[in-house]
Amino acid sequence: MVYNLKKAIWATIIAIIVFGLLVLYSASSQSTRVSQQVFYNQLFFSALGLLAIFFLSRVDYRKYYDFAYLFYGINVFLLIAIFIFGYYALGAKRWIEILGLNFQPSEFMKFSLILALARYFTDHKPKISFYNPWAKPALFSEFIIPFMLTAFPMLLIFKQPDLGTAILVLGIFFVMVFAAGVSARYLACFFGLCVLATPLLWQMMKSYQRDRLMVFLNPNIDPLGAGYTIIQSKIAIGSGQLFGKGWLAGTQNQLNFLPERHTDFIFSVIGEEWGFIGGIAILACFYILIISSLRVVEQTKETFGYLAGVGFVSIFALQIIINIAMVLGLCPIVGITLPFISYGRSSFLVFVLMFGFLINLGKKNKIL
Amino acid sequence: MRLKNLKIIITCLFAVLVLGLGYLQIVHGSYYQSLSVHNCIRIVPVEPNRGRIFDRNGIILADTLVSFDIMVIPQEIKDKEKLFSFLSGVLKMKTKTLLDLYQRRKLASFAPVTVAENVDRDQAIVLEENKFRFPGLLVEVRSKRSYPFGETGAHVLGYVGRVSPERLEQFKNYGYTIEGMTGYSGLEEHYDHFLRGREGGVQIEVNNRGQQVRLLGMKVAAPGQDIGTTLDARIQQFSQNLLAGERGVILVMELDSGEILGMVSSPSFDPNAFLDNASSQRRASYFTNSQAVLLNRAIRGQYPPGSVFKIPLAMAALNTKKLNEHTSFLCNGSYVLGNRVFRCSHVHGVQDFIQAIAHSCNVYFFHAGLIVGPKIIEEYAHLFGLGALTNIDLPYEEKGNIPRSDALRQRRWSKGDTLNLSIGQGDLLVTPIQLLKMMAVVARDGKDVLPSVIKSIGKSQVRREAVLHDISISKSYFDKVKLGLRGAVAEEAGTAHVSSLSDVVVFGKTGTAQTSGGKPHHAWFVGFCPQAKTRIVFCVFLEHGGSSYHAARMASELLKEMKQQEIL
Repeated sequence: MVYNLKKAIWATIIAIIVFGLLVLYSASSQSTRVSQQVFYNQLFFSALGLLAIFFLSRVDYRKYYDFAYLFYGINVFLLIAIFIFGYYALGAKRWIEILGLNFQPSEFMKFSLILALARYFTDHKPKISFYNPWAKPALFSEFIIPFMLTAFPMLLIFKQPDLGTAILVLGIFFVMVFAAGVSARYLACFFGLCVLATPLLWQMMKSYQRDRLMVFLNPNIDPLGAGYTIIQSKIAIGSGQLFGKGWLAGTQNQLNFLPERHTDFIFSVIGEEWGFIGGIAILACFYILIISSLRVVEQTKETFGYLAGVGFVSIFALQIIINIAMVLGLCPIVGITLPFISYGRSSFLVFVLMFGFLINLGKKNKIL
Repeated sequence: MRLKNLKIIITCLFAVLVLGLGYLQIVHGSYYQSLSVHNCIRIVPVEPNRGRIFDRNGIILADTLVSFDIMVIPQEIKDKEKLFSFLSGVLKMKTKTLLDLYQRRKLASFAPVTVAENVDRDQAIVLEENKFRFPGLLVEVRSKRSYPFGETGAHVLGYVGRVSPERLEQFKNYGYTIEGMTGYSGLEEHYDHFLRGREGGVQIEVNNRGQQVRLLGMKVAAPGQDIGTTLDARIQQFSQNLLAGERGVILVMELDSGEILGMVSSPSFDPNAFLDNASSQRRASYFTNSQAVLLNRAIRGQYPPGSVFKIPLAMAALNTKKLNEHTSFLCNGSYVLGNRVFRCSHVHGVQDFIQAIAHSCNVYFFHAGLIVGPKIIEEYAHLFGLGALTNIDLPYEEKGNIPRSDALRQRRWSKGDTLNLSIGQGDLLVTPIQLLKMMAVVARDGKDVLPSVIKSIGKSQVRREAVLHDISISKSYFDKVKLGLRGAVAEEAGTAHVSSLSDVVVFGKTGTAQTSGGKPHHAWFVGFCPQAKTRIVFCVFLEHGGSSYHAARMASELLKEMKQQEIL
């Protein structure tokens, strides 16, 4: 397939953001539970975000190499600071106020952790690789240290509690280790350990998180409580059928059946009002954006850029997949947003940073 | 190249999403369409009032109080601002807090949202009177459990809480729902089936706007049944006061019927703490406390009985004719077996059978134990109900342990083991309720008894039944042992002389059970009053209470008070 990568990336980003704004407008149009202000806020920082991508794409991505550990350090510091200065909202301590604006440091952790791991593996290239499979692997430097880099912020995030982002952070680790070419044996062992640790995780979870998992297995045990959201979400999406009920015409959406419809559950509004066609369209946009970005990364010769690029694209894809899967009832509900569409400043900004980086990566490597 | 794998994975997962979307929207689209567009049926649950628990004289031990909750029906609100500022004025809460609560709890526009729980009666009346001015406002009368005696006798009563997932799984088919209340431990759990009643519900039809179209049906909640118990609130309260600051148990049972008049385990907990969120800290401390406050020591605590165990041994010795009441042994303060010395509490000199019981002479029972032998001792321990459930109507009773002389795991049974067993030490473990029942059987000349707490359910009297195992031992043997038991209290040198009262005839046996780790001994006093107005059997147990003297003195305080209250 021959197409202009640069145009494809820009076009899909803009399409996704614009489409997202339309959906958010609809989700907040009743202004009973979701204020209209939500839409205007998002409109404002969407515009700002697009501009930011444009400017960030002119910043040499190699600068991030120098700042990678600094970013990581500051971010971990903020995660710790949350426990002291942060405030509660929706039952978790995730937000912190800086210069009068609220931020979720856990969202930014995705960005800084990828940078930090990318730099780490650039400095300490794994000896074993596909090209040299018989080299003696170094467990400590190839696996333990990067794992510690991941585990520390992950635990902090898990404690907030924010199970979704904690899972994503673990996902980042997998992807980065995979991309860096660390021995497949380690990966397999580690995966096994994770599976074995699941009962422990269950012990550590908050009761509402357990409820959500139980409800995933059978939403009908608590149709007015924890199972409510998923049942209503499935009704919303399913009733959209092929063509949808039309913009601003989704009954589930407009009648407040859907909680969290402007954030984690925004895809159910898409499904209801735009139908299968709309759902496929937005999935296609995401897919084109992911594949195009991966092409850019593929052609990058330089390790740091390559690794960070893989990380960014993967986390982007992972979030989309998990978010939509949970809205469809295919996986348990964990608070993960839909990139560029869900309402939320921190979440939006993180992807702005990532795509600024990716576009610059393409430019510097003469791809875009 | 690894990147290629990544692309394949992502592509596959996107394909799964597309399939999932298609499955919901194309395959099942019309089904969900009908759910959302056609009228939907909703059920709003209505909780039943829980039955109350009474003592034997009609005093309320667990009550169901009326509590007023303020609710708001979103779809009926005309002017939200005005309504909430009015509410904040009456309830003396900030408008913003109320609005926040409302926003957070709102589920659907037809479902009432609780904005304030458990408000004062006066406030509820004001709101009720102004209801017509503010459509959507609702004053809901709900029931709330209350335990007027607090910590007193909390273990027998138990407590209530939301259904746990495990129990929901178990009892789903019996109408248990995740929002419902259920009893935990004690009577609340054992008789939950009667106390809980049946949940009702209102079935309504709503349109796709979530608004109620019409009422389809209504199932009235059936209130739970009241339960009458055999307990006496006065005895409970007095036992609680006696045990304040101690760890231990006081049990009182009617001799003839097996009705439990008093059961207090200390330290105790406040069952009211399980009812409101404000006490969650206190509640959590119950589960982590090192004193095991939630443990009902009367039926779940397992301890060595000490010298109280001499009773079944004495019965065994008489009934197997290995000893008779004239058999005497010389006590010089200790018994030497090989190079081990087994001590007695005093130098008793020559003791006959009855004196040995009254003075609790260890040396006498060492001789007796060796003559009778461990197998027969074991058999008689079982005969008197030790090491077995008493089948009292309370959950989670423990069995205790009677060591088996022919089945030791690490080593062979030795004579030393027999000596230890003879005075109720070693691996022998019993619960206080078992000793109480054993003493009752002795007092009743071998007639078995079933301890019970229930007296009536709803309007009907309840009599629990079980297969009873009467012990066929000649009454004359019982009388001889009882002579010893009376001597323990009546004689100047008796071990329980402190509990002798001028106006009540008390029989009893003390026990001081040694414990490992250098902690103070367990103190027992188990006895009965066969000639009182209410014939009773009682058991006082102090965990690490030091000498049995303390238990005997506590028992005398209890009996004195019962006499004063004209119970005895």
